[in-house]
Amino acid sequence: MIWRILRAVLLLFVAVIVIFPVAWLVSTSFKTDVDIFGIPPMLFPQHPTGSRYAQLWTYGLLAYLVNSVIVAISTAVITIVVGTLAAFSLARFRLPGKWNARVSFWILSTRMFPPIITVIPLFQLMRFLGLVDTRLGLVIAYAAFNVPFVVWMMRGFIVEIPRDLEEVAMVDGCSRMRAFRSISLPLVVPGLAATAIFTVIMSWQEFLFALVLTQTPASSTLPILVSSQITQYQILWGQMGAAGTITMVPVLVFAFSVQRYLVRGMSFGAVKG
Amino acid sequence: MSDSRLKYLLLAPAIILLLVLTVYPLVFAVAASLQTVNVRTGAQRFVGLANFARIASDPLFWNAARNTAIYTGIAVTVELVLGLAMALILTEKFRSRNLFRTIFLTPMMLPPIVAAIIFKIIYMQQYGVANWFLGLLGIKGMLWEAGPRTALFSLVLVDIWEWTPFMFLILLAGLQAIPTDPYEAAKVDGATWFQELRHVTFPLLTPAVLIAVLLRLMDTLRIFDQVFVMTGGGPANSTETLSLYVYQTGFRFFDVGYATAMSFILLVATTVISNIFISRLRAEEVFSQ
Repeated sequence: MIWRILRAVLLLFVAVIVIFPVAWLVSTSFKTDVDIFGIPPMLFPQHPTGSRYAQLWTYGLLAYLVNSVIVAISTAVITIVVGTLAAFSLARFRLPGKWNARVSFWILSTRMFPPIITVIPLFQLMRFLGLVDTRLGLVIAYAAFNVPFVVWMMRGFIVEIPRDLEEVAMVDGCSRMRAFRSISLPLVVPGLAATAIFTVIMSWQEFLFALVLTQTPASSTLPILVSSQITQYQILWGQMGAAGTITMVPVLVFAFSVQRYLVRGMSFGAVKG
Repeated sequence: MSDSRLKYLLLAPAIILLLVLTVYPLVFAVAASLQTVNVRTGAQRFVGLANFARIASDPLFWNAARNTAIYTGIAVTVELVLGLAMALILTEKFRSRNLFRTIFLTPMMLPPIVAAIIFKIIYMQQYGVANWFLGLLGIKGMLWEAGPRTALFSLVLVDIWEWTPFMFLILLAGLQAIPTDPYEAAKVDGATWFQELRHVTFPLLTPAVLIAVLLRLMDTLRIFDQVFVMTGGGPANSTETLSLYVYQTGFRFFDVGYATAMSFILLVATTVISNIFISRLRAEEVFSQ
């Protein structure tokens, strides 16, 4: 009994610690300067205002938003197509010798690469190709960075579908790819959708590549808008809160929509939740 | 088309993208780290291992390495302990368990950049809610991320807030995957709660712990976003991490050769540490499939 009460108190305490900072961000985005610099600090603004969002809008919010959406969706489409095909190959075919294991491990090991080591060469490459400060440049970088994740996730999903099903279809005269498309692919759609959402989240919130490869609203994404509210001379607290809220909300919605696959996604498919 | 050609064809696009991501940067890094580039003229000069020699005697590099090590060590340890505790509590059966599980995952789902600005706002000095709260407890306000002695600790705190849920998530999945038989056997043998934890739960949870710690280590060793936004490496370089120092060297001072040489060291360190874990995981047969 004592433990149950203690447990309830503990859980509520942790829940407050978890929720409060998020609520504080949203609250700040609706505060005037008077409220932001008010003592005591208040969770519910005395003079709630939407002007922070309006200011961001005139600052060019739409351009950042459009960039983020285009980059995230393009990255997801490319990585899903490229990654699923590779995953199918690794799951269904045997390469000679130990090459299945080798290729799989190589793909996994790219997760170890600190982005900082790739970002300098990538910047030089993009400059050479004239793709600095373009959405295309960012998409190429994100696609390369997310393909290993998609391969590893989709390989896990495809392996779980018995290959007999495809073989039956092939006996009936289907080609290999036709059998995959019409038999296995529909069965992995939930996993595929979850994987796609993970890649959307990853490119939506990525910061380092965006910082290096983009320079103007022509291609900069939302995280750049957030960080640019911190200038050399001052911090625009309200706008920063608003930009942060706008960046956060879609990610939260997406992340909770794939909660079932969260363990798998966050552990790179290593733990089957 | 024959299967033997099809299997390579399907792999090809992914392999090409991965070459862009791994092999090309590695080749570039090796080449660049052996050169020095004159920023004004763009002329490149081969300097052999001079960039690596420079690392050895660069106090700023070792400062960054030390900060990264401290950050990683404290953050991952605390996250593991807290995450394990939360996972153990939330495997017990009670009402509203699922609600709490969902709530506790929230911080992990935030974009790291957003977590950073949230705490930037909370840490505000005169008007921040953290100092106001300390005031209520009769404690004098701190400088948090703006103070040379508290900055690194303040960043670690953000990491703990954001990523303890990750440990919790993976360990919870690990706990749920443990079959009930060993516990029944332990009960029959009259094991206490603590003995059960030590001799049944922990050994069976090892793979999940290894994976969770490995993934966290890889991410904290490369920590960049939060530091860049919250402190920019200051004050007085007290929060300069390796990734940040490489970034500044490469993109603010355009010393590409030296920056890639340092990033190489970071890669080697990450790889060595990761491989220790991966070989343990192979022994536990996690990646066998």
